Formats: sequence, structure tokens, C-alpha cells
Amino acid sequence: MPTLKIKNLSKTYANGVQALKNVSLDIPTGMFGLLGPNGAGKSTLMRILATLQEADQGQVTFDKLNVLTQKMELRKRLGYLPQSFGVYPKITAETLLNHLAVLKGLTKKSERKEVVAALLHKTNLYADRQKNLGGYSGGMKQRFGIAQALLTNPKLLIVDEPTAGLDPTERNRFYNILSELAENTVVILSTHIVEDVKELCTNMAIINKGEVLMQGNPRHAIEELSGKIYQRTIRKSELADYKKNYRVIADKLLLGEPIIHILSETDPGDGFSRVTAGLEDVYFAHIW
Amino acid sequence: MWYEIFKFELKYRAKRADTYLYFALLFGYALIAVDFIFTENLDPVKRNAPFIIAKTMGIIAALFTMVTSMIMGVAALRDFDHHMSALMFVNPIKKGDYLLGRFLGSFVVLIFIFSSVPIGLILGDFMPWRLAEALLPFDLWRYIHPFLIVVLPNLFFTGAIFFVAGALSRKLLVVYTQGIILLMAYIFSIQWGQGQADGFIPALIDPFFYQAINRGTQFWSTTARNTQMVGLEGVLLCNRLLWIAIGWIVLGIGYYGFSFNVIRNSFLKQQKKATLSNENLQNLSTIKIPEFDLEQGVKSKLIQLKYHSLFYFQTILKEVPFWAIVICGMAIIFINSINLGTTHGVDTFPVTYIIVEELQEMSIFFFLIILIFYSGELVWKERDAKVDGVYDALPVSDSIPLTGKFIGLTLAYLILIGTMIGAGILFQTVNGFYEYELGVYFMGFFVNIFPSLILLTILSFFIQVVVNHKFLGHFVVVTVVLVSMIGLRAFGFDHGLYNFGAGDMGIYSAMNGHGHFLWGYAWFTTYWMAFAIGLFLVATLLSVRGMETNLIKRIRAGRFRLTPRFCKISIDVFLIFLFSGGYIFYNTNILNDYALPSTAAKYQVAYEQTLKKYETLPQPKIVATNLKLELYPEERDYKMEGFYWLTNLAEAPIEAIHVQKIPGTKFDLAELQFSKAGIRKDTFVDFGYYIYSLTEPLLVGDSIKMNFKQNFTTNGFTEGSNTRIVYNGTFFDNMNLPSLGYNHHIELQEERDRKQYGLLPKPTKANRDNPLALKERRKGDDSQFIDFEITIGTAGNQTALAPGTLQKKWTANDRNYFHYKMNAPMINFYPIASAEYEVLHDKWKPKNGLDKPIELEIYYHKGHEYNLDGMMDAMKKSFDYFTKNFSPYPYEQMRIMEVPRYKNRAQSFPTLVAYSESMGFIMDVKADNVDMPFFITAHELAHQWWGLQVAAANVKGQKTVLESLAQYSALMVLKAHYSEEKVREFLKIEEKNYLSARANAKKIEVPLTLVDDQSYIYYRKGSLNLFALQAYISEDSVNLALKRFIRDWNSFDGLRQKERYATTADLLEYFSAVTPDSLQYLIPQLFETVTLFDNKIANAAYEKLNAIEYKVKVKIDMNKFQLDRLGIEKTTALNDWVDVAIYGKEEEVIYHKKYKIKEEMTDLEIVINQQPIKVIIDPNYLQIDKDRKDNERNF
Repeated sequence: MPTLKIKNLSKTYANGVQALKNVSLDIPTGMFGLLGPNGAGKSTLMRILATLQEADQGQVTFDKLNVLTQKMELRKRLGYLPQSFGVYPKITAETLLNHLAVLKGLTKKSERKEVVAALLHKTNLYADRQKNLGGYSGGMKQRFGIAQALLTNPKLLIVDEPTAGLDPTERNRFYNILSELAENTVVILSTHIVEDVKELCTNMAIINKGEVLMQGNPRHAIEELSGKIYQRTIRKSELADYKKNYRVIADKLLLGEPIIHILSETDPGDGFSRVTAGLEDVYFAHIW
Repeated sequence: MWYEIFKFELKYRAKRADTYLYFALLFGYALIAVDFIFTENLDPVKRNAPFIIAKTMGIIAALFTMVTSMIMGVAALRDFDHHMSALMFVNPIKKGDYLLGRFLGSFVVLIFIFSSVPIGLILGDFMPWRLAEALLPFDLWRYIHPFLIVVLPNLFFTGAIFFVAGALSRKLLVVYTQGIILLMAYIFSIQWGQGQADGFIPALIDPFFYQAINRGTQFWSTTARNTQMVGLEGVLLCNRLLWIAIGWIVLGIGYYGFSFNVIRNSFLKQQKKATLSNENLQNLSTIKIPEFDLEQGVKSKLIQLKYHSLFYFQTILKEVPFWAIVICGMAIIFINSINLGTTHGVDTFPVTYIIVEELQEMSIFFFLIILIFYSGELVWKERDAKVDGVYDALPVSDSIPLTGKFIGLTLAYLILIGTMIGAGILFQTVNGFYEYELGVYFMGFFVNIFPSLILLTILSFFIQVVVNHKFLGHFVVVTVVLVSMIGLRAFGFDHGLYNFGAGDMGIYSAMNGHGHFLWGYAWFTTYWMAFAIGLFLVATLLSVRGMETNLIKRIRAGRFRLTPRFCKISIDVFLIFLFSGGYIFYNTNILNDYALPSTAAKYQVAYEQTLKKYETLPQPKIVATNLKLELYPEERDYKMEGFYWLTNLAEAPIEAIHVQKIPGTKFDLAELQFSKAGIRKDTFVDFGYYIYSLTEPLLVGDSIKMNFKQNFTTNGFTEGSNTRIVYNGTFFDNMNLPSLGYNHHIELQEERDRKQYGLLPKPTKANRDNPLALKERRKGDDSQFIDFEITIGTAGNQTALAPGTLQKKWTANDRNYFHYKMNAPMINFYPIASAEYEVLHDKWKPKNGLDKPIELEIYYHKGHEYNLDGMMDAMKKSFDYFTKNFSPYPYEQMRIMEVPRYKNRAQSFPTLVAYSESMGFIMDVKADNVDMPFFITAHELAHQWWGLQVAAANVKGQKTVLESLAQYSALMVLKAHYSEEKVREFLKIEEKNYLSARANAKKIEVPLTLVDDQSYIYYRKGSLNLFALQAYISEDSVNLALKRFIRDWNSFDGLRQKERYATTADLLEYFSAVTPDSLQYLIPQLFETVTLFDNKIANAAYEKLNAIEYKVKVKIDMNKFQLDRLGIEKTTALNDWVDVAIYGKEEEVIYHKKYKIKEEMTDLEIVINQQPIKVIIDPNYLQIDKDRKDNERNF
């Protein structure tokens, strides 16, 4: 079973922003969730893994391949769905997918035809395959992106914020496809939606400001927090006071009323009630 | 509200670097523009004359239309491009405010950018390389005025067009396409203008005003050019108003057509909206992806490349602008061919090579536009569509995407080439010409144009990859292409091994095809192709893949892309580059002598400095020539041996004979011997100059025989190779043989070069009293009339030609031999030619029936039969006229031979006229044309009298005796056989050409008697004034004068030609003698002064007197000018005869009379007995009229 090993990876942009600081991760086969807020460095990491960006320092190996130098070899095993991507508006889905398939090395015409057709079915685009991509909705475009990432059976699948803009049905369908693949593939899923990771991933990491704050099994992470999360409803004006007195890891609205979660080893009283810890609490606890 | 948008626009642009970049660019160009555009010596027009500034501004404004498109095109487009439109258009702004604000804001910025032009031009005048004597004193208004009338209106309407195109199409490429359409209008106006006497419409439709300036000022004198502003009047004003109006109309269209909708409904079709299908969603996960193999072998790479290439090819084909360019490219031949090789209004047949050359000349713009823009578009294609993330992570090798794009673009060129060829064939067909030569099309496009397109395309890809900024890339490409066209040649380094894309395919000739040029061209093309492929390989290493755009990082990362195959290809390409370069060097520099232009010039300077002292040393003259020549056309070699008889015609014994060999190693003077004892001194052998000191001096009147052998050998190839000895159509004259004494042809000729090397300017022709020059026909004349005999051997399929009667013709060893001998002496000027000829025979029988008939022959290239009968007819009619009116013809035959068009001219030799294949042989004479093959033939035959019987002295006015008389003679033959209208048509064109040439003349105009090398005087004015002379004093009188002139001055037995040759002074004596006293004023007026008229009908009316009589009242306004010594036109007193003609209903002349006019305003009353339709003064072009349009009045 191939694994992806990232060791001390660093990247600083020309404008001085340090996007990755000594990132080290071990990513086994299966779904791996990369969780972090916007601007945490997720996409930079994903692009480096997808051979699209040079790292300043560090090593990345995948199944004995040096990802940073043996780009061509890696690309043969790679499926990549970028965070945002465009399409040629005046070309049909089938044409473009076919074209990409050729470029991936599916040069036998009969085989390619079948694979393209199967993928279009799988992503439910078959009926619209003759339509120009310019007329596709956001969800359809995203599905097209998935179809192209799955071309040629990748051993390493990198999907960057894939569910943005998808409705719940689409999202579920997408996750089904991913989890199916994850049985024998390294799938890295970057997202800022905690739910996604909870539902899918066997392993995860939380990064923020270029640093890995936590990595491991989501269930273990939740267990670590169990019994330490308390919540209460407050008035908006009280928020500042609470933040001063407690370790508030999240404030959100429930039916229009602010509700806060705090992390505490002991029961704080003061109207707080203990709640079952969720992955969201894990996330906030780390990035707060 | 609009003001806010306007302000925002200004602020936005003020912060953008490109605003200042454009400013700096224009400023830099303006600084050197005058020197860049007017490379020639403008003197006496100053380099900052208002006329020059206006023209320069016109050119700059046209050249930098690209800047306008980039500033104005994006003004409204920007919001769509940056996906800002949704944010922008939801604001409560009015469409008008938005558009007005954006337009005005950008326009103000544009004016700011272009204000660098006058500033640059002003500062340019103070640059150190400007000479004070070539400049007028500074005057700010001279710069502001043309800026206001030339640049500003141009900016307005081009700005409006680009702005609206951008706003409506929302596509940058559409904006650029507008530029092409403007360019088309410009080319159209130039082309149309050329064929027209009255160029009002062409001047009107020229969007860049340049043609209009040319038109409006074409007859301006030097003084006017130096002092007068190019004002807004006549066609100039109309042009400006038209284009400003177009600008407003376009803005109006823009206002009505623009919509704030972010998504537009397509005009053509509703886009199909994809919808979610009802496929059973639950089953999706059960769909299994079939098994497959991934291939990464060579075969699969080729398949990928093929897909990629076709993919990009198709994306270009889907672009509307591409098709717009293609259609423009097709149209261009139809526009451009308005003047297909026009001479005096006569077109040539649309033979394929002419069509191909027209297409090549113009299409290069279209190819460049496609090349520059689509190479940028393709390199950026993925990134523009934001699919780069997907593409870049594909396991496709680094070279395939770029190569695919390159091939895709190349395929698009094929489409353009195909349509060009199609348009060419269509044009030929429409013109009823069905001799399509597909091979010529193929060579012209696929062998000539295509490789250079590939070179430039690769260069453009390379630059786009390195620069990695699309628009900056476009700019860099344009700059690099321009610079590469000039290359190092500008600095005097002209070898093709270091001038990008060098390689000369030569001039195509119907007779010789591409001849020997192809071989050298193939090697140069290989060499530069290898270079370009090398660049391309580097580009694939550096091409952006992923997020890394920093060039240094890309260079560093490039090493990971070095695959073994890549390295192998690189080494192969490098080896090809080295090998072809080496082979070229071996050919050009080892097999042949290569010298830098400066080295060659220094050689010439040294020659002049060392040997000029022998310039006036008396030498014997060649009096007989006998040659044996073995010509090997397929090797381009010859072996010649022969002898001259030299006679001492000087006044003292001659002690040494100086022989000059033709410089260069190709010519080998293998042997040089004299019949009298002496010692050969090879002191100046480096210059090919041999001095043979005679043991006993050659006494006056004594002769000596000079034997020599000269071999000409062609080894390998060179650039700019010899076109005289070729596979088919060898043609050279005795200038290629050894000559006697110092040879002026070897001197450095260019005035600028001479100045640079400290040589005195070449003297103009000597004055008419220079005793030395009076004894020469040309400078350093080394001969008298000679006896001539030659034997030529040539290839078995060719005919060799030289002057004289064919004595014998035989074949030996598969070679043809011809022995020619002149029956009478001739001037020492003869051609040697050899080609595969067809021949048309005829005879001219003298009218008296006593003299021997003259053999007439035309040697022509098979297929060029179009005008043979006309030419033969012209020969006969010329013989009729010239033998009757001038003198008998001394020789036994007259031949016309067709020669390749390496020199596009006709030239008369004794008994032989060499006629370039493109001159008369393929002219398409239509019913309303002057029969130019007829005229040219008559002109060249007239030289058998003027030039070959009478030799004029090498002094001022020489060309008048030779060329003006030939023009006159031919015109008389034309007049005898064609209608008056044809003659008038001819004179009309001569007058127009004379007037426009004199306006552009650099030197002060001289009268015919003193003409030096100004062809507009001795051809154009010569025809007009000699025609006028015969119209006033009668044709017979002029011919009588000429008969006497030739009797006294011919080189056989002319009594006055013993001591010296004839001059214009001599000629005028004869004219004077036949001119009645009342017309004597004409002789100085026509020949010894520069006189011009400006006649017009101020008023004309008629009344019916009774049933049969009409009274016509005409007011004539006449002005006469003469040039003074300083070249300034002065009004002169009138005392001239002028023709007045009245025309009746059928355009027939019902009244024609000469009036003596003494006053500027003259009223005439004429009674006639028919109803008049119009009145014309000077209908027969007897007085050169500055403005002939007002000489005619319709009733």
C-alpha cells in the first residue's frame, strides 16, 4: 500500500508570506482530510503535491518516488482537482475529457472511448456530454473536474476544496465516489468544512498559518476532548466578557441567539452545560 | 456622475506602469523618428520642415495604433475581463455616464501618451547627430499644429473604434482585428492612389492621413515644403472631417449597442443550457471504470501530439477574428492588384509569379498579426481559461503542449496560405488568365514564406514563454521582429550566419525559375531552422507549468525536465546547426571571398587613392575585339579567350598600357600578352591592375594586339550571388571584360560612404566645354568604334546571342556554337546572352527597294507570345520612320532578346535589344491603353540611331541627346500609327510623372540642356518638350534638323565628330536653324530654362447669334514661371502661343487655333457655326501645366 510522506516542507512566497513552515505529514492509503481556515496553506501544499509548485525545502516521497524532482513519474499516478478551475466554454464535455485522456496516456482509441463514457456516467454527465462546457452549472462543472481527476485510475488523488458550490445531493454523490476510490488510493481532501472530514476521513490534519497543528484519526481527536466541551446561550453584549473569562473556542448562532462553546477541564457552572465533543470542537480548539 | 467615472479612470491609469511605458516608448521613437523614416538625404528640404514633421507624425500615429488599441480597447473591456462587470453594473449609474467617463478618461490618457511625440520630435532636433545646416530654426507651432490636425483626429477616431469594439465584443482580439481593417483601408488608399492621376478618393479614405498629406502636397515646391504648414484645406480637410465623423458614428453605435447585462444573449443562437438528467442516481456507484493500459511510449506521444495540435488548430478556427484576417488576406490581392506592374497605365498579365509576389508583400502583415497574437493566445490558453491547474498536472511530457500549440498555429497558417493561393487563382481566373503555375505558388509560399513564418513563430513562442506576460510579450515580439529584420546589417555586419533568418531565395524568373538560389537558401534555412528549434527546446524547458512564474526559478527547475530523449534531440539539433553553419561558412568564406561591407569599401577607397593618379593618363583605344567564349550555363562558368586591337589615338606616344581586370576571385585573368615587347609590372596586382611597360613606346596612330584569357568560375554558393551567368538566361555585357586604364566603376559610389571615408563627392557630369569629357562617351572611355567578332559555345539546348551577322552555327560535343561578326563598326558596348529561346523571324524591306532587307528576330521564352506581333510591328514601323527621317540603318539585322528580370529594363545594344521578361513580353495591352510594348520597342530601336550612331559626349545634357531624342522618335512612331487620344494619354502621364518627380527632387532642377542623371527631366520632360517643339515648328522641321544632326555627328563618317562627341549645344544649333524667327523664343524656353505654366479658363460662356452661328466668350488666365539660379520660381512675362480648342456634341474638335497671349487675363471671342460643348486650352500638352484640371470648361 503506497503512502505519501512529507518531511519538513517549507515554502515562502516572494512577498514574504510563509505559506508552509516545516510541514511533516504521513499520509496512508485512504481518505486523508486536510482541514484549515482560508489562507492556512492548504492549497500551497496541495499544489506542491500535485507538482505545480516548487517547495523551498523538505522532501516529499510517494511510493519511493521523489515528488519534488520526479514530477513526470508522479503525474502518471496522479489525479488532481484544483480548488478553482475553468473550462473552455466552446467545447463539449466529452471532447475535453477525451482530450485530457489522450494527454494522460490513454492513447488507445477504443479503450479511451469506454473509459470516458464510463466516467461520464459515473459523474452523471453522460446525458449532457454533447453540450458546451460554457453552459454547465457550477455543480456540473465540478463533476466534470472529478471525472477528469479520475481518468486513468490515480494512485494519488488530490482534491482541493471539492465541494464548494455543490448542493447536498451532489456532495453526497461526490463523497461516495471518493470513498469508493479510497480503498486502494491515497486521497487527500482539503477543505475548511469540518463535516466533510468527519464523514469521510480516516486520517486528518489541521493546519493553520502554514503549520500542522494536529494530525491523526478524527475519532481519537474527538475522544481526547470528550467531557471538556461546555456550551451556553448568551447575549450578544456578553461575548467579550465570556471570552475574557473562558477559553471560548466557538461562537455561533442558534435560532438567532449567540451560543458559545468553551473548553474546560472542569465544569465551569455559570449556566454552561456539557455537550458531546464534535470534530468541529477539535478544529476550533486547535486553531483558536 | 460621469465625472466620477472619468476621475476614477484617470487615477487608475495614473497608477499603471504601462501608461508610462507607452509614453516612454513613443518618446524614444519620436526622438529618432525623422532619421528612422527619412533615411535618405532630404536636402534642400530641412529635416524639421513642417511638411516632414507632419509626415512623421502621420507615420508614428499609424505605427502606434497598437498603443491606441491597448489603451482604448480595454477601457470598457476591463470590467468583463476581470470579472468586475457584475460588481460594476449593479451600481446606479447610467450607461451614458459610464461610457462617457470611461471613454474620456482613457482618451485623455491617450492624448497624454501621444503628447510624447511632439516632445520627442522637438528634443530629437537637438540630438548630437542632427546637423544644424539641415534644420530650420525652432518654432513650437510647427509641432503643435500637425499634432492637432494629424495626431489628434487619428487618436479620436481610432480610439472610438477600439473603445466601442472592446465594449461591444468584450474580446480583446476583436479590438485588434479592427486594427487590421484600418490597415486594409490604408493599403487600399495607397494602391488606389498609385493608379490615379486625381487621387481625391484615395486621399480621402486613408485613415492615417499619410496619403492625404502626400496628395495635398505632391506638387509643392521645396520652398513651400520648408515654410508652409500642411493646412486643412481641400482633400486634407475632407479627410479629417470624414474620419472624425466616422469616430462619432462609431461612438453612437457603441452607445446604443452597449448593454449592462453581464450575460448577453447571443445574436446568433441561444446557448444550450445543460440540465441535470434523470439518470438513476443510485446506480452511479455501481458503474465500473473499465480496465485499460496507460501508454507512455513514443507512439503514444505522437498520438498525444496529434490530438494536441488538432485541438489548438480547431480552437483557432473557431475564432471569428482569425477568419476576419483570412478574408482580409484574400481581399488584399484584389485591392492590391489595381496596379499590377503598371507602366503608363498598362498592366501586366497576372502571371503567377507577379501574383505570388503581390501576395507575399502584403500578406506578411496578416501572417505577422496572426503570429504575434495567436502565439500569445495559445501560450496563455490554459491560464486564460483557468484550466491550467488541470492541464499542468497531467502526465504529459513538457514538450508536447508547446509543440502542439506550435503545430496548431502552423496549421492555421496553412489555411491562410491556402486561401491566399485560392484568391490568387481566383484573381487570375476573373481576369481571364488561366495559366496557373501551381509550382510557383508552392515555392512562393511553402518554400519561401513558410520557413520564415516558422522561425518567427518559434521566436514569438520563446519570447512569450520567457517574458510570461502576454501583452508585454506582444510588444517584445514586435520589437524583436523589427530589430531582427534590420539585424546586425545596420551596423555593417551582413553575413547571414549571424543575421536572424537570413537566406535569400532570389528573384523568381520565368526563364530561370529560382535558379541557383535554392541551394544556398536551403542551407541557410536549415541553419536558422536548427537555431529556432534550439530556442524552442529551451522554451519547453522554461515554459510555465504550475504556479512558478519567476524566470530564475523556472531556469533552475528546468533541469528536472531534461529527459534523455530531450538531450538527444538537443544534441542532434546542435549538430545540425553546427554542420549547416560550417557548410555555409565553407561556401561563403572559403570557396568564395567574403568581405564585410566596410572591408569591401576600404578596398574601393584604397583603389581610388592609389590609382586615381592614372585617371587621365592617355591610353590606347580598343578598335577591334575578337572573342572565343565557352559558356557552361549549368556550372555557371565560362572560359574566354580573345584579343583587342588597341590603337594610339592620343597626341603623344604611349609608354605603358594599363589593364584592369574585374575585381574578385571569380574572375581570373589567366593570360595577358601583347604583340609588342615589354615588361608587365604587377605592382597593383591586388587591385587587378596591370601595367605593361612597352620597350618601345606606342607611337601615335600605331596599334598593338592584346591577347587575354579570362575565366569565370562559380564555386559553391554565396549570399547576393551573381545573376549574370545563370542556368537559363545568361546575360552580361562587356563591362565584365578587361578594360584599359583606371576604372571608375570600381570606385565607392554612395555619397554617404564616400564622405565617411574622406573621399570627395563624385563629380557631376562635366560642363559642356570640358575638353577631356567631350572626347568620351562615358567616364574612362577606353574605346572607339570597334570591329567585332565572337564565337560562343553554350549548352546543347541553348541559343547564344551577340551582335552581328551569324556567320556559322554548328554543334559539337552536344554543345551549340555560334559565330557572329559585325558587318560594320559599332560602339564598344555589346551583350552576350544564352538561353533556351524560341525565335520569331521576319524581314523589314526598305521602301526604296534597293537596300538589302534587314533581318528581324525576336528571341523569346516559350509561353511569352503575347506581344510578339506588336513588337515585330513596332520594329518595322520604327525602321520605316527612322530610315526615312533620320538616316539609313548601318547593320544587317535587328534582334530583340528576352532576358531574366534580375534587372527590370530594356536596353539597346548594337543590333540587339535586351528586353527584361517582365517589361514588355507579358504586358496586357487593353483597348484604352497606350501600347507600351510598341512604344518601348520603338524607343529602344531609336537608340540604334541615338546612342549607337550618334554618341553624345559625357557632359551635361548627354542624356537629352540620347534619351529625349529616343522618346521623341518613339512618340512620333506612336503618333503615326495611333490615335491622337493615345498620344495625349501618353503625354498626360508623362506630365504627371514629371510634375510629381520634380516636386520630390532633391537637387535644383536644371534645364534639358544641362541635365545630369535626373530621369524625370530627360525622359518625361524630354518627351513633352520635343513633342511641343514639333507641334509648333512642324514634325518635318524637327526631323530635318535631326537628319542634319546625325549627318554631321554620326560616328561613321560624321564630319564634325572627328575631334569630339556631340552635346546639347550642338543639337540646339540644328533646331534653331529650322525654327522661324517668330518661334525662336521656344528654343531657350523648352531647352535652356525650366519653364512652367499655370493656365486656366477663368470664365467661358456662349450665346447663339443666329440660326447657325454661336459666339463663344472665353477668359483665359495664364501664368508663366521660370526657375532662377537658386531654384526659385519667378513669374515671367508672357508672350506665348497657346492652343484653344472647342468641342462639339460628338466630342469632335470644331475649332482649334493658336493665340498669342501677352496678358495674364485675356478675353477671346470666337464665332463658330456649331453648338459648343466644351472649351479646352492647351489640349495637346504643349505647355507643362502645374494644374491642368482647370484648363477645361464644359458649357
